[in-house]
Amino acid sequence: MGKHYRPAGKKKEGNAAKYVTRTQAIRLLQISLPLFRKLCILKGITPREPKKKFKGNDKTYYHVKDIAFLHHEPLLEMHRAIRVHERKIKKAEAKKNVERANRLREKTPKPKIDRIIRQRYPRFVDALGELDDCLTMVHLFATVPATKEKKIDVDLIHKCRKLAHEWQAFIARTHRLRKTFVSVKGIYYQAEVEGQTITWLTPHALQQVVPDDVDIPTMLNFLQIYQPLLGFVNFHLYHSINLKYPPLLDPELEAEAAVYGLIRYAQSNNKPTILETSELVESEQLESKQDGPEIQNKKSELRLAQLQHQLPSNEPGALMHLVEKAAGEDGEEYDDETKQCKNLFQNVKIFLSREVPRESLHFVIPAFGGMVSWEGEKAPFAETDQSITHQIVDREAQGHRFLSREYVQPQWVFDCVNARIILPTENYMVGRIPPPHLSPFVDYGEEGSYVPDYAKTIKHLQAAARKEVLPLPGVEKDLEDPQNLLAEGIIDRAAANQAAKEKQKLMILEKQYHEDLKKELQGATYTSAGSTEVIQTGESLNNGQANIDDVDMAELVMPNKKRKLLKAMEISNQRKQSKNDTIIRRKKKLDEAQNQRS
Amino acid sequence: MVELDNQKEAPIPSDYNEDSDDSDSTQHSDESDFEDSSADKDGDSSSGSSDSDSDSKSELEDGSPAQDNSGDSEDAESQDEDDVKSEGGSEGSDIHQEGVGGDESDSSEDEVAPRNTIGEVPLKWYEDEPHIGYDIKGKKIKKKEKEDKLGSFLANVDDSKNWRKIYDEYNDEVVELTKDEIKIVRKLMKNQAPHTDFDPYPTYVDWFKWDGAKHPLSNAPEPKRRFIPSKWEAKKVVQYVRAIRNGSITFDKPKEEDDAYLLWEDDSGLTEKANHLAYVPAPKQKLPGIKWDLNFGVQYNISFSFEVLLVLIISFCLSGHDESYNPPLEYIPTQEEINSYQLMYEEDRPKFIPKRFTSMRSIPAYENAMKESFERCLDLYLCPRVRRKRLNIDPESLKPKLPNKKELKPYPITCYIEYKGHEGAVTSISVEASGQWMASGSSDGTVRVWEVETGRCLRRWEIGEAVNCVTWNPLPDIHILAVSVGQDVLLLNTGLGDEEEQQRIKELLLVDSPKASEETGKKAPSVSWLKDDKHDGIRLRHLKTVTSVEWHRKGDYFSTVMPAGESRSVLIHQLSKKLSQKLPFKLHGLAVRSTFHPSRSIFFICTKKTVRVYDLLKRKLIKTLYTGLKEASSIAVHPGGDNLIVGSKEGKLCWFDMDLSAKPYKTLKCHPKDINNVVFHRSYPLFASCSDDSTAYVFHGMVYSDLNQNPLIVPLEILRGHANSNGRGILDCKFHPRQPWLFTAGADQLIKLYCHY
Repeated sequence: MGKHYRPAGKKKEGNAAKYVTRTQAIRLLQISLPLFRKLCILKGITPREPKKKFKGNDKTYYHVKDIAFLHHEPLLEMHRAIRVHERKIKKAEAKKNVERANRLREKTPKPKIDRIIRQRYPRFVDALGELDDCLTMVHLFATVPATKEKKIDVDLIHKCRKLAHEWQAFIARTHRLRKTFVSVKGIYYQAEVEGQTITWLTPHALQQVVPDDVDIPTMLNFLQIYQPLLGFVNFHLYHSINLKYPPLLDPELEAEAAVYGLIRYAQSNNKPTILETSELVESEQLESKQDGPEIQNKKSELRLAQLQHQLPSNEPGALMHLVEKAAGEDGEEYDDETKQCKNLFQNVKIFLSREVPRESLHFVIPAFGGMVSWEGEKAPFAETDQSITHQIVDREAQGHRFLSREYVQPQWVFDCVNARIILPTENYMVGRIPPPHLSPFVDYGEEGSYVPDYAKTIKHLQAAARKEVLPLPGVEKDLEDPQNLLAEGIIDRAAANQAAKEKQKLMILEKQYHEDLKKELQGATYTSAGSTEVIQTGESLNNGQANIDDVDMAELVMPNKKRKLLKAMEISNQRKQSKNDTIIRRKKKLDEAQNQRS
Repeated sequence: MVELDNQKEAPIPSDYNEDSDDSDSTQHSDESDFEDSSADKDGDSSSGSSDSDSDSKSELEDGSPAQDNSGDSEDAESQDEDDVKSEGGSEGSDIHQEGVGGDESDSSEDEVAPRNTIGEVPLKWYEDEPHIGYDIKGKKIKKKEKEDKLGSFLANVDDSKNWRKIYDEYNDEVVELTKDEIKIVRKLMKNQAPHTDFDPYPTYVDWFKWDGAKHPLSNAPEPKRRFIPSKWEAKKVVQYVRAIRNGSITFDKPKEEDDAYLLWEDDSGLTEKANHLAYVPAPKQKLPGIKWDLNFGVQYNISFSFEVLLVLIISFCLSGHDESYNPPLEYIPTQEEINSYQLMYEEDRPKFIPKRFTSMRSIPAYENAMKESFERCLDLYLCPRVRRKRLNIDPESLKPKLPNKKELKPYPITCYIEYKGHEGAVTSISVEASGQWMASGSSDGTVRVWEVETGRCLRRWEIGEAVNCVTWNPLPDIHILAVSVGQDVLLLNTGLGDEEEQQRIKELLLVDSPKASEETGKKAPSVSWLKDDKHDGIRLRHLKTVTSVEWHRKGDYFSTVMPAGESRSVLIHQLSKKLSQKLPFKLHGLAVRSTFHPSRSIFFICTKKTVRVYDLLKRKLIKTLYTGLKEASSIAVHPGGDNLIVGSKEGKLCWFDMDLSAKPYKTLKCHPKDINNVVFHRSYPLFASCSDDSTAYVFHGMVYSDLNQNPLIVPLEILRGHANSNGRGILDCKFHPRQPWLFTAGADQLIKLYCHY
């Protein structure tokens, strides 16, 4: 009698009754492995970890209920129908009945995903909570080249791009963006929607290479659920701010600046429902109700363009202001943080040079309340506009300069956004190597973590902006108001530079002073405790020995499990510490080298 | 004849072309073309071949495949021709003439009667005749005189048209082909229409003159059906309409666009998923700068909450700004450091090496973007998700809270006295029951007795062999020392105590030697009791090396252990009767130590892996304790009798609560090296272990009378001070019977006394 003998007629018990292996599941469902995987992806079913792996450690286990869940899935039947249909197409092609084949191909049944989405994310908040991967994937596929041999469809990529733009437009319109981080891997964005923190990664605006060791069908399976999910989420969000979805854009503007166009669409289309002052618009809307959504969109778009042209050249952002004011009056309630974000670039007008990666800035600057323009036919204002305060330039040197504006590198925008203040621009000027770009996701609160210099500087500036701490008298004037600083910079750059230098010097002096103070304090304690020193050291030695013993003692009595855990912790802590140490060591070396040079 | 032919065939094109002049002119031009080519050919022939006749032949031979196609007979002829060639040119040319003539004869035979009238008879028949045949009138036609070969050759060389000439054997004449004829031949060879002027693709000429025609060709009136709606069509339409109404014809549905709609219209009422299985949302992807450490599946540093993690992924944390395109300079590893990564293990190597780009325009596309995204996908659908408690523990909090040591005082802390004198490692010590004396045995072959408080060496025995074990008799009035030396156990009279006591001791140590000899006569005893004159005591001779001696609490019995003694490895001796007996039990395993129960007649034998507990009165095994150790080395029983500790050679200490279980209540891993001895204090709740790592540990081991309360074990002190010699540290330790003091015997020839102050 075997160890696992079960008498006939007796039911399975325990883990064996609760879980099935993958092979068992596939046999039960009578489907192929790829289809099983696809269903798992669509339905969000993952393997489970049974307490006892009754068929061996190398097997994948699924819960019986999960498999039953798949078993009742209409999608399963749908895929069977699709298979039958494909056979028909094949037959028609084999008989060279092209017409029938094409007709059949068009009639291929398409699985509906909306029910599954509803099932997986019963509430909107659930969907938002798990939107990270979806957004990252959609943004990635917006930059992937369409290739036939890998079955990456052009339509798919366009759809991805569209969805991504719509999402970004919503975030920018509602000023939900919180953090950005330009990394080597791409640009990270963090937004807060309905209390959910959503972080996604967009690749840099260069085309991705599709490596051969990546299984594209799997990713496409994921996209099959992600695309409609983002579509529904976008619809919900647009609906929540009284916007029509999907938005239609002027194709020229879309080609030039899709996100910007969408944001503007969102702002302008929002206007009539909130404001309802302009009869024209109202009547137009009435009209459009009869005409149907597309015509309405087009018309409004057209009208928008007209308005844009009618506006006086020196006040191109008036429309946006109007909208924003209206929004504010109407009591669109913003929490404090959103308000702060919204007003960050309130008085800033930014022009992007040709070479600047446009897409991300089109998204970030309006998201923080700034006005942005670029070189192009559909740009809201031209480069020659006198009211431009900043021009983003990403080249070695700028030839012709307007005195009325600052020429900064794109990193300035991202750093400002992360610091939530307008940073002084002298470090970011054209031709210079900008200061380090720091991750906003780092929490310096943790004890013993290394804080880079620039993070300290930014903290100082932030404090100054909040007027919490009064900096040293010489610096006060400069740091009192970043706007002031800005203005100063515009008036006289040289003076501003000097001021900055002074400020740095003073900061160094201040630091030194603090250090001296510390030293002095320590010295004082030494002198005061001088008489008892010998005894103290002796005692401390004893205590030290005792402490060491104590530690060892406690470890002796620990159970094995805990002891191993402790060891693991110690190792990881050591690793962390060593990482920190290497950074500090490198920093020291760098400082020394700099000192020698100077 | 040829001329005629030409004229006969010429009219064909003239049917097409109104003026034949044109055709002529083309003919001429053709001719000139031909001449050119022929001139070329001539040049060839003059240079390449000497015989123009043969040249002409070769020219025609070129076409021979075409002729071959016509039939096998021809093929045979060409075979002949080869044969003939060797005989003479005339012969070969004959054959050709025949072929060509055969072609021509079709057209020419009807019109012009041949001069020769022999008909289709083989010419062979006329070979030997002077004539070639007969003309139309029946006269013989004489053969022409044949030129000699040289002459004909010379004539041929001179004549440029020679290659066109063909000898007509039938009529015995040389025929010169015209250019047109040659063209025809060539065309035939190419399987084309033979006539030179025949155009296979003529331009279509519409002969009907349409312009100016007022009426259609047909004068018939327009048919009625063109004005009346078709009945058949109407029927068909009705049919279709009915079919559509019946539903037998269905139309393709318009292609549905999967548009978004308000999916979550009212989700306020919903709280949980319909699926009743616990749903574990996927953990979010790691962000640059957020520290998620996974070490052996344990997480900490993040507050007490249920966090999700993928079981299979072990993510490596990046420290903060590494991923930035422009990280602070100190985050960028130097070239040396990058090189050193190559030496690291694959899994230790950093996955991401920070790079610095001085401007945003210089950031390249990230090459692993697709791959990382794909890996994330794999994690999402292939990893089992498990909710795991993330411990927010300060590593210190893992350590158990120990009671304050001050409350557990007194216990030995500091070295108070060192007993110097031995010249070898002190292997064993023993303290007298009153606590005044202490005996020690050393590998230098001496046993010494010390006064504890002063450190004075009272007595010294030269035994001459390394001492394994020294033990005092537990009774305070019997000052006898049991010393195990090699295969012997010596019972020594220390000479302490007053006269009366000495008398008793001497009586005890008196051995009746003849009796012993008697016994030897009876059977081979395992132990012989002998008188030891040198040291004034008894010598118990054993069969194997004795490693330890242990006294019973009453001082009359003692047990010895010979690990190599097999069934007699543990013996119990009675001093008063001078008797030895082996245990009536079977030992499973190698005996290491033995000890008596402090209050009852229970005997413990420690083997390498187990401790066996015997009842001596009932003579049966009570219990076996499984230590789980590799090799036990020592055992000690708590004065209460229900708890015991076992020390092992791997440095582990097991505490057994015999009422609780046969497995250790607690195992302490304290020493890195072998434990040599473990002891309990007789009155204080203390126990100690000493080891080859030159340390002795003192523990607080409180046993409560309440059975529900587990014993409390607290490590108190590590006693250092002994030096290591030859890899051996402290060989023995014993507590003072009354004071919380600990004696340690080291391999460094010292004995130390640790006191509680």
